[in-house]
Amino acid sequence: MDGTGEHAENAGRQPGGGEGALVTFRAGLHDPRTATAVGRLLGAAMLLCFLTGLVSHVLQQPPGRLAGSLPVRPVWFYRLTQGVHVASGIAAIPLLLVKLWTVYPRLFVSPPIRGLRHGVERASIAVLVSATLLQLTMGLLNILQWYPWPFSFRQVHFALAWVLTGSLLLHLAVKSPLIAAHWRRRGPGTLRLPEDEAADRRALLWSVGAAVGAVTVVSAGQTVTPLRSLTVLAPRQVDHGPQALPVTKTAAEAKVSERALRGWQLQVAGPRPYALTLEQLRRLPQHHAELPIACVEGWSKMARWSGVRLRELLERAEVPEHASLRVVSLQLGGAYRVMEMEPQYARDPLTLLALDLNGEALDLDHGRPARIIAPGRPGVLQTKWVHRIEVL
Amino acid sequence: MRTVRGVLGAAGLALLGCGCWLLFAETRHGTVGPVLLWLAGSVAAHDFLLVPVVLLAGLALRRLPARTVWRGGLIVAGSLTVLAVPMMLWQGSPANPTVLPLDYRVNWLLTLAGTAAATLLVLLLRTAVRGVRAGRRHRNGRP
Repeated sequence: MDGTGEHAENAGRQPGGGEGALVTFRAGLHDPRTATAVGRLLGAAMLLCFLTGLVSHVLQQPPGRLAGSLPVRPVWFYRLTQGVHVASGIAAIPLLLVKLWTVYPRLFVSPPIRGLRHGVERASIAVLVSATLLQLTMGLLNILQWYPWPFSFRQVHFALAWVLTGSLLLHLAVKSPLIAAHWRRRGPGTLRLPEDEAADRRALLWSVGAAVGAVTVVSAGQTVTPLRSLTVLAPRQVDHGPQALPVTKTAAEAKVSERALRGWQLQVAGPRPYALTLEQLRRLPQHHAELPIACVEGWSKMARWSGVRLRELLERAEVPEHASLRVVSLQLGGAYRVMEMEPQYARDPLTLLALDLNGEALDLDHGRPARIIAPGRPGVLQTKWVHRIEVL
Repeated sequence: MRTVRGVLGAAGLALLGCGCWLLFAETRHGTVGPVLLWLAGSVAAHDFLLVPVVLLAGLALRRLPARTVWRGGLIVAGSLTVLAVPMMLWQGSPANPTVLPLDYRVNWLLTLAGTAAATLLVLLLRTAVRGVRAGRRHRNGRP
C-alpha cells in the first residue's frame, strides 16, 4: 500500500525475522505503532540535542559574520542551552535503547540483503544507528572527561551530529507513510493491530517515560538548581569545589604554577598601553556581578564575582568602541589559551576582570589572580589566569 | 505526503553530506579510520552485549504475573545502570577532584533500591485498584 514493498510492515507486526529467521519474536509490541510512539519521543530529544548543540558550537567558535550578533542577555543563555543539550542527550539514552528494541526483529532478517534497494536501506539504517549510538556514548563520556578514543572529541562530535540528523531525516522520509498510519491511537494502521496489545503498549510507554524521568532527575541537578540534592548520578556536584564552585580545568592541568604568577602584571594593549599589578587593580573602582559559569559539560552554577569592569580598563587604554579583543592566558597550550571577545561582550557593564569569587580572592584553580567573566558565554571563554588583553 | 517526503529526503541528504564532508575533510589527519571502527564497535557492543541481555530478561519475565510492572522496573533500572556504569568505571581517575567526586557504586545501588521500591509500590497499587474494581463488578452483577 505504501509502496515500500515491505509487506511485513503492512501487516502491522514483525512476525519474527521472516523466512528462515534465526530468532522468532513471539512477544508483541515489535510493531510500527510502538516504534512510532517511542520514535517520536526519541526524535524530539535528538532534534533538541542537535539544535542546542549548534548553538553551543556557534558560541564557542563564532563564525565571522555572526560574531557581532551573539546575545549578551539573558545572562543564563548558555546555561540554558547547554543544560538542555546534555539533559536531552541523557534522556535520549533510554529512548534509543527501547526504540532499538522495538525493531530487534529487523536485526535478524534473513537473507541480510535482498537486493540493491534493500541493501541501500539497510546501509542507511546502519549509519543512523551507529552514529546515534556513538554520538550519545561520546557525549556521556565527555561529561566525565573520559576520552578513550584516539580522535578529537569536538571535531567528531560535531561531524556526527550532522550525519546523525541527516540520516534521521532520511529515515523519516522513507517511513513517512508508515508513521502517518500509526501516528494516532485510532489511526488506520493502529486499528489493524491486535486490540489486546494496546494495554501492553501503554504500560511500555509509561515505563519508558519513567526511565526518562529517572535518568533526568538523578543527573539534571548539576545544572538545574532545585534538583541539586537528588543528583546522585551526575559527574559534578555543583557545591563541590574550591569556593563552592566546580572546576573544569585545574591549574595543574593547565600548567599554571605559583611560580608563573610571581611578578604578575595585567598588560593591556591599545593606543595607550599600560600594565597593572594586582594591588593596583584592587585600588580601581570594584564592581559586582552575579553571573553563572556554564560549562560545555552541562554543569552550571550562579556565582558572585567582583573586580574591575572590563569596559573601564579598555577606556583607560583608549581602545576603540567597536574593537574586538584578544585575551591571552598564562596557561600553556590548550585550545582556549587565546580567547577572542566581540565588542558587545567587552563593553557590557556586567563583564568583569574578576579578582574575587563568592567573597574571597580567586582560588588558583579558578584563575587567580584574574579571570574574565562575561554574560551568556560558555565557560571555556571565561578565560582564567589572564595575562594580556590585546586589540584585534 | 509526497512533498513532505521529498523535502525530508532532500534535507536529510544535505545534512548527511555536510556531516560526511566535516568528517572526511575537516578533521585531523587519521581520524576517519578510528571513527569508522568506533561506529562499528558501538553497533557490535549493542547487538552482541546489550541485545542478548535484554532478550534473556524478556524470557525470564514471560511467565511472571504482573509482567508489565516488572518489565517497567527493569527498564528503569537498566537505564540508570547504563548511565551509571561509565561513572563507576571512571571514578577516581580524573586528576581534577571536582570531576566525579561521589561514590557512584553506592549511588547506583541506591537508585536500584529506589526503583525496586517504586516497582513494588506500583504492584501494590495495581492489586488494590483491581481488587476494588472486581468488588464493584461483583456487587453490580447482582440483580
